[in-house]
This record gives sequence, C-alpha cells and structure tokens, in this order.
Amino acid sequence: MENKLVSPNPHVHAKSSTSSLMWDVIIALAPAMVVSILWYGWSALMLLALGAGFCVLLEWTITKWMMRKPSVACLPAAALTGLLLALNMPPSTPWWTVLIGAIVAIGVAKMSFGGMGQNVFNPAITGRVFLLVSFPQQLTNWEIPRGFIGGGLDAVSGSTLLSQVKLEGAGSVADLDIFRTFLLNPGGSMGEISGLALLIGFVYLLCRKVVKPWIPLSIFLTVALVSGIFHLCNPEAYTGPLFNLVAGGLILGACFMATDYVTSPMSDWGGVVFGVGLGFIVMMIRYFGSYPEGVSFAILLMNMTVPLIDRAFHRKKYGYGRA
Amino acid sequence: MSKYTFPIGGIHPNDAKFSKGCAIEVLPIPPVVYVSMAQHLGAPAVPCVAAGDKVKVGTVIGEPAGFISAYIHSPVSGTVKSVGPRKDLAGNNVTHVEITVEGDEWEDGIDLTPDIVKEIPSDRAAVLDKIKKCGVVGLGGATFPAHVKLNPSPDTKADCILINGAECEPYLTSDHRIMIERPEEIVIGAAIMQMVLGGCRCVIAIEDNKPEAIASMKGAVAKLGYRNMEVLTLKKKYPQGGEKQLIDAVLRRQVGSGALPISVGAVVQNVATALAVYEAVQKNRPLITNTMTITGDKLPVSEQHNYLFRIGVPFSFIAEQAGGVPEYAAKIVSGGPMMGKAIANMDATTVKGTSSLLYLSKESTKRKEEGLCIRCARCAESCPMGLEPFLINRVYKAGDLAGMEKASAQDCIECGCCQYSCPANIPLVDNIRMAKGQVMAEIKKRRSNGK
Amino acid sequence: MTGIFLWTVGILAGLGFILALVLFLIAKKFKVEEDPRIDLVEKALPGANCGGCGFAGCHAFADAAVKAPNLDNNFCPVGGNEVMKKVAEILGYEVKQQTPKVAVLKCNGSCENRPRTNEYDGVKSCRVKATLYAGDTLCPYGCLGCGDCVAACNFGAIAINPETLLPEVDESKCTACGACTRACPRGLLELRNKGPRSMRVYVACSNKDKGMFTRKACKAGCIGCGKCAKVCPHGAITVENNLAYIDYTKCKLCKKCVAECPIGAIHAVNFPVLKPKPEAPAPEAKKEAANE
Repeated sequence: MENKLVSPNPHVHAKSSTSSLMWDVIIALAPAMVVSILWYGWSALMLLALGAGFCVLLEWTITKWMMRKPSVACLPAAALTGLLLALNMPPSTPWWTVLIGAIVAIGVAKMSFGGMGQNVFNPAITGRVFLLVSFPQQLTNWEIPRGFIGGGLDAVSGSTLLSQVKLEGAGSVADLDIFRTFLLNPGGSMGEISGLALLIGFVYLLCRKVVKPWIPLSIFLTVALVSGIFHLCNPEAYTGPLFNLVAGGLILGACFMATDYVTSPMSDWGGVVFGVGLGFIVMMIRYFGSYPEGVSFAILLMNMTVPLIDRAFHRKKYGYGRA
Repeated sequence: MSKYTFPIGGIHPNDAKFSKGCAIEVLPIPPVVYVSMAQHLGAPAVPCVAAGDKVKVGTVIGEPAGFISAYIHSPVSGTVKSVGPRKDLAGNNVTHVEITVEGDEWEDGIDLTPDIVKEIPSDRAAVLDKIKKCGVVGLGGATFPAHVKLNPSPDTKADCILINGAECEPYLTSDHRIMIERPEEIVIGAAIMQMVLGGCRCVIAIEDNKPEAIASMKGAVAKLGYRNMEVLTLKKKYPQGGEKQLIDAVLRRQVGSGALPISVGAVVQNVATALAVYEAVQKNRPLITNTMTITGDKLPVSEQHNYLFRIGVPFSFIAEQAGGVPEYAAKIVSGGPMMGKAIANMDATTVKGTSSLLYLSKESTKRKEEGLCIRCARCAESCPMGLEPFLINRVYKAGDLAGMEKASAQDCIECGCCQYSCPANIPLVDNIRMAKGQVMAEIKKRRSNGK
Repeated sequence: MTGIFLWTVGILAGLGFILALVLFLIAKKFKVEEDPRIDLVEKALPGANCGGCGFAGCHAFADAAVKAPNLDNNFCPVGGNEVMKKVAEILGYEVKQQTPKVAVLKCNGSCENRPRTNEYDGVKSCRVKATLYAGDTLCPYGCLGCGDCVAACNFGAIAINPETLLPEVDESKCTACGACTRACPRGLLELRNKGPRSMRVYVACSNKDKGMFTRKACKAGCIGCGKCAKVCPHGAITVENNLAYIDYTKCKLCKKCVAECPIGAIHAVNFPVLKPKPEAPAPEAKKEAANE
C-alpha cells in the first residue's frame, strides 16, 4: 500500500486556481472579442490570435530559459495580457506592432520585474503606451477594415470621438446618440467597440466573484462627477458625463485593466482611492492634455501609487475595537 | 434564513455532511486499549497505576499534573499491562497506559440506566468538583479542561454561555447526531453549566445546514423549560465554530488580542462537552466515551458511520470495524478537513477530543504546486480574524519578527481559510503558524522580563 | 544668451556651495566617535556576517572585541586562528589557539536505512515539519530532510544528497560558524573537532528511543547497547538515554568502538585505507574511509 500523505491543515482546497481565474477573465472578454471580430473581420481575429499566441510563447520561453530564480509560467495569464494588448489597438494596426507590444508587455513590464505577481505596471497597458508613443501613426490610424457583418462601413477613415473633441471642440459631439455609442461604437481600439459587451463580461466576473466592483464603480463615479462639474460650468468647452463614460477606452480600462490583481490595491478602500485617482487623471488628460485619451496613462500613473495605498489601507482586525 | 453569523471573513466550503443520516452505533471494545496521558490542553496527566493493577471502567489511571490538566479514567475493565512511551498519531512519544480488556465491569456509583435525570443540583462547588473529577474537557477541538473554563476568576463575570453546535467543519456529523439523538441530555448539561456560571443567559447556536438538529434541540429546550435558554440558528459559514467567531456571531462582541472569551462575559462550550457534563454530574460517569464520524469524500454512505467509541481504541481497530481503510484514501485525517490532523500512525489511539476518521482522496487533498502570489487578496478577504495572511507570509520569510507582530501573526487561529482560498496554492497557514510561534515566544519573553 | 548662461552657472554653483556647507555642518554635528581599531579589526575579519561568533555580524564582533579586556570570549570560527592572530595583533591581546571544528550530522537515516512510512505534503521546511509530526519515518529524532540547514549555510557547504536524502557537509567549505546547528529543529548537526588530517570518530545517530523501537525505525540507529563505552580505553564514550556519545576532547581516534558497534552507527571518517593485512580494520571504518 502506498504511504499516506501527511501535511499540516487545511487538508482541502477551493477549486479556483490562478489559471482558472485568468480563464474567467478571458471568458469575460469573449463578448467584446466576438463583437470586434464580427465587426472588423479577419484583421481583428489575427491581431487577437497573434497577441495571445506570442505572449504565451514569450512567457514560456522566458520562465523556462531566462529567469534566475525558478519561476512558474502561468500561460492563461500571458494569453490574457496578449488579448488585452490586442484589444487596446485599432483593428488596422500592422501585425508587427503587436509583436513589439508583446515583447514590451511580457518581457519588460512583467518578466524583468520577476514575473507573475511581481510587476508594478500593468503589462498590457505598458505595451500599449510604448507603442502609442513609439508608433503614433500606426496606433492612430483608424481605418476600419471590412468585417463579417456591418460591411457598409468598410474603409471609412474616421477618427475617434475623443480626437474629434480635441480637434473640433465639445460642441461637435453634442448631438451624439449616447445609447447607440454604448451599444456599438466602431472606430478606436478593437476592445472599445461595444461598452455593452464589456459590461456583460464584467457582470460575469462579478458573478464568479473574480473581481470586486469597487474600482470600476469609483472610476465611473469620479469621471461622471468631474465631467459633470466641468460640463455644468461650461457646456461649450467641456463634454458631459454620459459622453465621457461611454467614449474611448474607459469601460475597457476600468473593468478589465484597472482591476488587474497585481497592479491594483488589495483592500476595498484602497481600491476606491485608486479608482478615484484614476478617474480624476483620466478627466484631466481628456480635458487639458495633449492626448485625446488618457485611460492608459492614468492606469500607469495610479499603478505607481499602489504600494503607497497598500501601506495606508489595512483591514479592520478582529479584537482591536469595533469600528 | 438566519442573519446571525460572524461579520469578518469566512469561507463557504462544500459542507459534505454525507454521514448525517447515520445513527450512532456503539463501537465494540478491542482486546487491548492504550490510553494516552496527553489528551487535553495543558500538562499531561501523571499515570497513577502500574503494570499488573486491575482496573474497572471509570477507575482513575491518570492524575492532573497542574492547574490546567485533567483526570484520565480507564475506559475498559481489565489489567494494566504496561505504562510507557508509545507513538501518538503524529509519531511522537507520549506516555500511554496499556490495558488488556477483561469483561466490562464498571466502577461502583456510575449510573448506567438510560433514565434522564432532570433535577439540577444547586451546589456549585460540588458540581465543579464532579466535572473536574470526571475529567471533562472541551470536546470542540482544543480539549481545554472544562472545570477551569467554568470557574472564571472572581473579577470577571459571565453573562452568557454559548453552547456550540455550529459544527462548521465539513464532513463531521458527530455533533449533529448527538443533537438529534440526545438533545435532552445536552440541554440538561447546558443548564448545569448555566447554573455553575451563576444563571446567565444560555444560547445554543446551530448552523442552518442542520435543520433536524435545530428542531430536535428546540423541542428539548421547550420540553425541559429551563429559564433564559434559547436555540439560535446561524447562517452557515466556516469557521463559525471558532470560539471568537461564535461570540461575534451571537453576541456581536469581539475578544481582544490575547484575551480570553470571559473578558467579554462569554463562555463557549461544545454540545459534546454539554453531554459530557451531563453524564459527569447527573450520572457520575467520567469522560471515557465520545462520538466520532467515519467518513470520506468518496466513501459510499453505506460505509460511513457515527460511532460511540471508548477512548484509547487504536485507529486501526476502528478502521477495521468500519470496513477497512478504503482503497482511494490518500490521506487519513483525525478531525475536520480544515483544522484536523493528518494521521501519520494508524496504530495511535483515540483520545477524548477525537471527532472523526476522515478518508480524503488524492484529488481532494494532495497539495498543488505552489505558485506566485498574484495579490488577489482572497486570503485577506477570507481571514475571520481580519489579518492579512499574504503580509505575514512575506515578513515571516524575511525573518522580520517585529513585522510579524505588527501584522498580528499571534492572533491567527489557524483555521485554514487563507490557504483554502489561495489560488496560487501558497502554504500560508504552514508559515503563519511558525510566525505565530515566534511572536508568541517573543511576547512571553517580554512579559517575563517585564515582571 | 550669455546672460542666461552666466545665471545658470552662477545659480548652480551657488546652490552646490550652500548644500555642501549644509552637509559639512551636519556631518560635523552628528559625527559618531568610534574607536578606529574597530574598523581595522572588521577589515581583518572574513566579512561574511554569518553570526557564527555569536554576534550580529562582523562589525558587532569587532566592536565587542575592541571593548573586551581580552579575546577569551571572542573567536571567529570562520577565520580561525589565522584571522584571530591578526585581530590580536591589532588590539595587542594574546590569542588562545582553538582547534578547528567542522559540522557533523548525527543521523544516518538514509532512505535505505530508514524506510518511509508516510509522505510529507506540506511546505518544504524542517521547522514546519518538526512541529507537525515525528517525520516521515518511525524515528522521531532523525533528519527531516527538508534542508533548513542547507538554507542556513552561508558558505554553500551543505547539500542534500538526492540518494540518501540526508544533508552532507563539504569539509573544505565548512567554516564551523554553527548556523546549521541552530537551524536544525532536531539539533542533529554538531560542531566537532576536525581532528588531525580531518580524521574523526562520531556516533551518527540521535535516537533516544529504546533499542527495540530504534531497530524498528532505522537500520543504522544506535540502540544504546553500551558496548562501545565498555571497549573505549579513554573513557570518551558515554551512553545516556539509549544513545552513545563520544566526547571529542577525550577521543584518541583508536577506532576500537567502531569495530565493536553491532549496528555500524559509529562513523570513522578520513582514516587512510590500510593495506589488507590478516587483522584487517573494521569493515565499517574501511567503508566509510572509502566513501569519503
């Protein structure tokens, strides 16, 4: 008979694992991916596959051959980074930018900090921002390729709503149908096409208890509040709260990038502070910055404050006086 | 749906109470028993018999060796064969008394009739003495001598005694069964402890996954009609049966770090302890039996049992009686899957606090490869003490003693919630237990230096 | 243009001067007076900060050595006599020669000698394992094999042999700092005299159980029969709690006990392999010598 196992307690474990959590996030991204593939066609599919595949390959290679300390590759996490990176790019991006983005995301932003769980900055956002400042032309070429459905819109060279605001002022989007934009908003990054699809995925994450709602909620509320105040003061110069909520990458960033475990605070209240700061920076960049969109920069900036936030917010311990 | 539960942390594992329908059976007596002298928290008892002595069921064979210690009685009648070291379930040497069984003759004065004695004695000192002489210890897991807990220092006052029927550990059903089969005795035992503590309020707390037990206990309380006693339904959540969590769940009070429950006016005793108190006080019967569950995650219900066993019976004998160790068992645990102890030595014997023999399959128990922390904060969210296990783990690995104390490693109750919920399979409890030990030693040293 | 240039240079130079002044004043004000010899002594030490001397590190040792009236209580086991001579020179003290030591494992419960009875599945740490249970064999005194000593060694002198699952000490690297002896929760590592040409005799067992139990648990366990104590001409061996112990200050390396031990629990290492003679040396000693 085999020798029996002996170990300290506990003797059982919950079913969830790091991989299963990552799979849950990938599943949650599925609606957004499906919409963008349907709308943008083969090029979207290729970018997603390329991003995920190359990130997995990089993660595996680096953990296997290049780490000083033995590390465990978490392939679903790498695939998730690749998918998020691809979703953060316009569908007409040339394929090689994705590869460069993946190298920056996995190689620089993640592995050089020590791999899984050690990185300070969100890898996918780091990759995107690197591309944005290095290849601004490729990253802001909003040509819409022919999709599987919605063929009537092919080869429309347009700009995103936010760059339109930057160029032509807040008045140019005053008559926009916010609800339609929320449902479907071609142009811009692939993942931004449908706020509804993203929110469906996020509700799935909430139901599976993968993430908590505090970070996205505080981001949305802050964005609404800040833009509301500015809009009330001067509706001519500043866009309104509803527009700012649905436009650009806010929903994608708030629900899927800002909630990344590794680069967000661990406590609920820390998450709220993180979200408020993030929302504020987003609005400052949108209103006063030279870039039309600021979600990526805001996330990177707030990533830096996470260690400080974690130091400031601790849980209420049992037996140290009731709050 | 009950709203009573503890507010901080907690987890919801599958409760897996497969054996809850198995009525309690009496386990046969093996030819030889080995009675451990370290069956309780505190100093091990000193054996007071020698090889060749004749003993009856209930004869004192071990005497307490300090204030926090307990009497140990012979669970069988026969001849003492030897007194000496023997390996316990962890494989460490502990003094055992080996007794060869001859017949089943009980000491005089033990009431073996099934009649229920309802009159509660009023002499507090005599009752406490009886509880002490009968070797009653807390049967909820910690095996703390009951007479010490029921006799708090005069400057503290208990205003509530909680009878713990939460049985929050998955798989275990022995408390469930005694609540169904022997509710009146438990209620009388609870009333006795209530009297000893000066007639305070008495709450029998049961989780809502045991509706039969709740009904049965409510019936007994109504029938016996003791004053100031109620049955309270709790919302199921692990570790509700933890002393501190139960007090918070029922009374909304929190016991301070390093303090005893009595500091907030509460005393917690398990339902099995209440039964033992009843038997000791009303029947003059020492604590030589307890109820245990034989169960497992892949064991067919037909092979699961709830046994009334005598202490000192080897685990291997029990396993044999229950149909042998199943083929699938990769780990055998005594106690629940969250806080129980893995058995390294099946020849070890049952003790007063034994509550189960749990066969876990490899799939459910084998630890998976340790990954890297992804800062998901699940450990912190599940910690019922409001600690941050990831932080304690980190400072422990760095050897930072001050950091461990600041992170309150000493407050850990080792319930296992953090490790259970960690998606990266980090052995948090293993490390935090070490950190706790180091901090406790440091606090003790400081205290003795301060004096 | 020139104006801006001059302004910049001027401001920066001025700023540099003021800050330098501040630094200088602060350094002057908060200067810590320290015996310069402490620094000298510290430089003479190996600088491993292993704590083998009983102090927090080399600086703490140097500090204590300078303040102490003599060097009786201060000895750097890593540097040995040579370093201590230097230290003594610096301080003008006399140094007592100490015999070099080496860490020795008092357990021979290899996989072959000590059958496993269960499989440990917890965190890989002897300390955790020792608090949990007696170990994955029937011996509650023997090596737990998780390598806390390996982690504690600052000099890379200890490694777990994958075949025996026991730690092995590399004599050439061991500095007798004693970190491993403190790390082992079972106290299985002992600092013993290195002996002439590294020859030494020791009992490779720590089991205090009765012989009957020891035998059951391990083929190489000392059963406390006391034969070695009887045969030892120097009175170096004592048997206490069913366990023999050789006092290395008394042992004269005659190896009589090695031949006498019925278990082979007494190890004699680094003895030269003798040419086969009619009265061949004890097979155990030969085996050990060959192993080394």
